[in-house]
Amino acid sequence: MAQAPQAMAEQVDVVDLLTAQHSLIRDLFEEVKTAQGEAREEAFHRLRRMLAVHETAEEEVVHPIARHVLDGGDDGLVDDRLAEENEAKKMLGELEGMQPGKPDFMELLDRLRMAVLAHARSEERYEFMKLRDKTDPSTLRAMAASVKVAEAFAPTHPHAGVESATANLVAGPITALVDRVRDAVRGTSGTTDDPRS
Amino acid sequence: MTFNPLTEKGIPLERQLRNWRELDVTPVDPDETDPYTKCRIITMNGIEVEAALFSHHFARICPDREVKEQLARTRYIEQQQQKAVNWLLPGTASVLETTISYEQVAVDLTGWVARNEPDPYLRQAYEFGVLEDFDHLYRYANLYEIIEHRRAEKIVGRLTEVMPGRPTIVEHRDPVDNLRDPYDRNAAAPISKLHALTLVAAEQQTMNFYMTTGNMYMEPIARQLYQEIGLIEEEHVTHYESLMDPGETWWERLVTHEYNECYLYYSFMRQESDPKVRAIWELHLNMELEHLRIAADLMRRHDGREPEEVVGRELPQALTFEPNKAFLRELLATQMDLTTLGAGYVREQHERFQRMQEQIHGGEKPPSERVIDLHREKFGADYRIETEGRHPDPRLRQEVSGR
Repeated sequence: MAQAPQAMAEQVDVVDLLTAQHSLIRDLFEEVKTAQGEAREEAFHRLRRMLAVHETAEEEVVHPIARHVLDGGDDGLVDDRLAEENEAKKMLGELEGMQPGKPDFMELLDRLRMAVLAHARSEERYEFMKLRDKTDPSTLRAMAASVKVAEAFAPTHPHAGVESATANLVAGPITALVDRVRDAVRGTSGTTDDPRS
Repeated sequence: MTFNPLTEKGIPLERQLRNWRELDVTPVDPDETDPYTKCRIITMNGIEVEAALFSHHFARICPDREVKEQLARTRYIEQQQQKAVNWLLPGTASVLETTISYEQVAVDLTGWVARNEPDPYLRQAYEFGVLEDFDHLYRYANLYEIIEHRRAEKIVGRLTEVMPGRPTIVEHRDPVDNLRDPYDRNAAAPISKLHALTLVAAEQQTMNFYMTTGNMYMEPIARQLYQEIGLIEEEHVTHYESLMDPGETWWERLVTHEYNECYLYYSFMRQESDPKVRAIWELHLNMELEHLRIAADLMRRHDGREPEEVVGRELPQALTFEPNKAFLRELLATQMDLTTLGAGYVREQHERFQRMQEQIHGGEKPPSERVIDLHREKFGADYRIETEGRHPDPRLRQEVSGR
């Protein structure tokens, strides 16, 4: 059943937006697993790009605010999420250097899938739910807008070690530029037409 | 079936206790597990919860210390079994994801039981209930897409259709109209007793689940929907449990419980596709065989009867999780308008029904209607999985707004 595009455009709340992206990422993993040959490579590029921009946006917009407003935000709650993101980026980086047709690729992909799923669920339960509680709707809408901007300019490849907002903003624009030029040259931008991205 | 739980030997009870490492089962994959594997897990969780609760109720009225000790020993193992089974479900599943699997269980478990129930009155009770669970699945699936941005098809596969059943709004009846007539324990086929017990356990666990987790959402529509459907589950537990003969002794009920557990673990072991889960069904079956032997012994000593008098000599045909689409569509075409009056069924909305409807809805649309309106507003139509064509009831065919 086709989904009305305007339904997704109505996600003005940052929690809605990011939760929808978690769902999309979950679907993308399935696509990579079930595709063969070139289709698998192409699906993987889309997944890689989606993960990279999504995580960067969370690091730039969501986690700094969560750190500030949430109980325990500064005590490890956010650090736990950043550590998970760092691990995921390393795995994603490794996958980039592997052949999508090989069994070791699929094995690592599966480990990444489970790690990303657990990480997404933790964010939703421990961070997003509480953010909605502590933050007024207009701020949540502004955050959604910021996330969209951040994603438009984010690096499209994983760069582990760049998890703080500052590091992202310093390294980000140049890295993103380099990434996007690289993608364009190789034809691996993997842009998805999904209006949710 | 040549397998006879009454004559097979199980693991001695003193060897059934598992340590922490053994109890720490590996959960199934959240995305790649056969939906029916999850359904079997959920079913057995309900069965083991019922085993523990029944044993506690028995202990509360039992004056004999020796019997209570025996109940306590077995019950502790049943509690370990419950944890080994329920912890097969991964922690990444959200409450709503698990809820949708629960409703898939309700639909396809009740569907199969109804199709295989020999007694027409009992079969009618199951047909009545399944159309309501079918509707719950539809309501929760719509909620799922709204708040978790994911489609229920990812959970149920295409094994179970998702579309309106008997609308939840008309499922709210006067409590007395949820009481059916019980079967006669001396006349009922053993399979009828097992069916009733299985569905009571399943609905009871669903009721418990909504009671406990329905408040874990923040979105008002989610909280409200869980309250509403939670109250229907109360009706379903009353409805199914009233089918059981109140004259059954505690001993024969104990035997029926343990026999049913053997029956279900055996059935699921035979059809389980996941090897790790299959190993658990097999291990637990070997535990239940001993629990059954103990129960049969107790009944011989305290009731002076042999277990075969209660549960028969032959294990019934294995209970199977499989699609029930054609069966459900037939019910959707013919039984949508049923409600209950006393122990029977009627098609008109009688006075007692109307009074309940007025009181409970308070002149407004209930959450089960509002959740669909909300989905239509956001997506242009309600969410459905109609694999076999349009809805059999023309009044419930999908409308797509002009947007």
